[in-house]
Amino acid sequence: MSVVEASEGTQKATVDANFEPTILAIACHWCTYTGADLAGMNRMNYPPNVRVLRVPCSGRVNPQYILTALNKGCDGVLVCGCHPGDCHYVSGNYYAKRRLMAFKRLLEYTGLEEGRLLIRWISGSEAGKFRDTVTEICQTVKALGPLSTSEQDALTAFSRSAAGLADINANVGAAAGFASAPEPNQADGAGE
Amino acid sequence: MSDIQSQLRARAAELLSSGEVVQVIGWMDGRFENQTTPAFIDRPEDAELLVFNEYCVNTTPKYTLYEKEHGKLAVCVRGCDSRGINRMIKDNQILRDQLYLIGLPCSGVKDRKTGELLIKCQNCNHRNPVVYDELLGDAVEEPQVNRYDVVERFEAMERDKRAQYFESTFNRCIRCYACREVCPVCTCRSCFVDQVNVGWQGKQNNLAENKFYNLTRVFHIGDRCVECGECERACPMNLPLMAFNRKMVKDLDDLFAAGEAGLDAEGTHSLGTYDVNDVEEFM
Ligand code: SF4
Ligand code: SF4
Repeated sequence: MSVVEASEGTQKATVDANFEPTILAIACHWCTYTGADLAGMNRMNYPPNVRVLRVPCSGRVNPQYILTALNKGCDGVLVCGCHPGDCHYVSGNYYAKRRLMAFKRLLEYTGLEEGRLLIRWISGSEAGKFRDTVTEICQTVKALGPLSTSEQDALTAFSRSAAGLADINANVGAAAGFASAPEPNQADGAGE
Repeated sequence: MSDIQSQLRARAAELLSSGEVVQVIGWMDGRFENQTTPAFIDRPEDAELLVFNEYCVNTTPKYTLYEKEHGKLAVCVRGCDSRGINRMIKDNQILRDQLYLIGLPCSGVKDRKTGELLIKCQNCNHRNPVVYDELLGDAVEEPQVNRYDVVERFEAMERDKRAQYFESTFNRCIRCYACREVCPVCTCRSCFVDQVNVGWQGKQNNLAENKFYNLTRVFHIGDRCVECGECERACPMNLPLMAFNRKMVKDLDDLFAAGEAGLDAEGTHSLGTYDVNDVEEFM
């Protein structure tokens, strides 16, 4: 079994070349889901790692869906909707656009690798674009490795250990201008 | 400040005895040295209890939500409080004419143990109230600080360092929800964390659930946050919550020119609207 070094990650995670990511694709009923259907009817091939979740509109996509997917075992999330101007409900995707632009930045700021959350407008006739987008996110996430182990578990174990916490506070917290985290019993009760 | 304090006591007594308001919300001395606690004064003779000094750390707007049923309220507002009040009016939580706002210029409040200016006050550009019915004392000079400083330092950091730091902060959260309770913007009657049967938020205290809570909170208030810093002050585990809130505020300002929340009681918030000419990055 060949092993490739992941380009990122302090834990020097190694990615199993046979790793098959799980990707959640949230697709709007009117455009992207139809586009995916067309891809199927045209017998297009795309990676089988993707699970499609149909929603009425990209404006229906609660950011908590994305968080839940990432927490419960998905390695990447793809959100798709109609092109701006084509929304069946007129404006749903415009709201979604603002929301997801901000939410993607927030997730990446708090540590998610770029590429694990992908957002694309795909119309009902763009079967090829659906295939290409799914292929793109699968390849990216495959190279990044599993989210649950390389990201969450290793970091959790490290940051929950006393040595890890001290190290983080000394090196990272200090660099960002924060005093060390309090030991729980030293915390100053806010409600005094 | 003691001059303002005596004016405040006198005005509170007048407002209560004339029957113009039924309650004055401010601060009074607490049990410890240099500690104050929110005060809810409803008799003119109790107005002597009110204090205004550099240890009035609590913000006042959220209390109006629970006290408004008693009648018209007089509320002491500094810059941060007044922006919270504006935001609550905009969110239809309270009406402007249910409130009599006593404006108090503020020079920042201090930690009672260390005597240092609180972080929220170090990063504050709005020391004078932006809305009030009367102003006690003279307006103070507004500082010009770069309030995005902390966000910029995190953004400049390598991703995995930043990820580690934030994971360690999320791990620390005990999900007491103090950050939600004090926030003038967190006014949903039924918060997603309390909807146990729906099951958005699990009861476990682990990284996944803590992250889910914190990121949802930040995203939900991000476009309306008035940057009062009260959540960060109230957090018993010292989570750097403003590093998240300000990230949202900064992004929304960069992307959609959202500006600062709570400066007036008109208009909408940036995620509650859209513009067909918004930048496109999902094509
Ligand atoms: S106040 Fe702090 S510890 Fe409590 S829920 Fe909020 S972030 Fe977590
Ligand atoms: S999120 Fe924090 S800083 Fe923003 S309005 Fe609420 S309490 Fe104030």
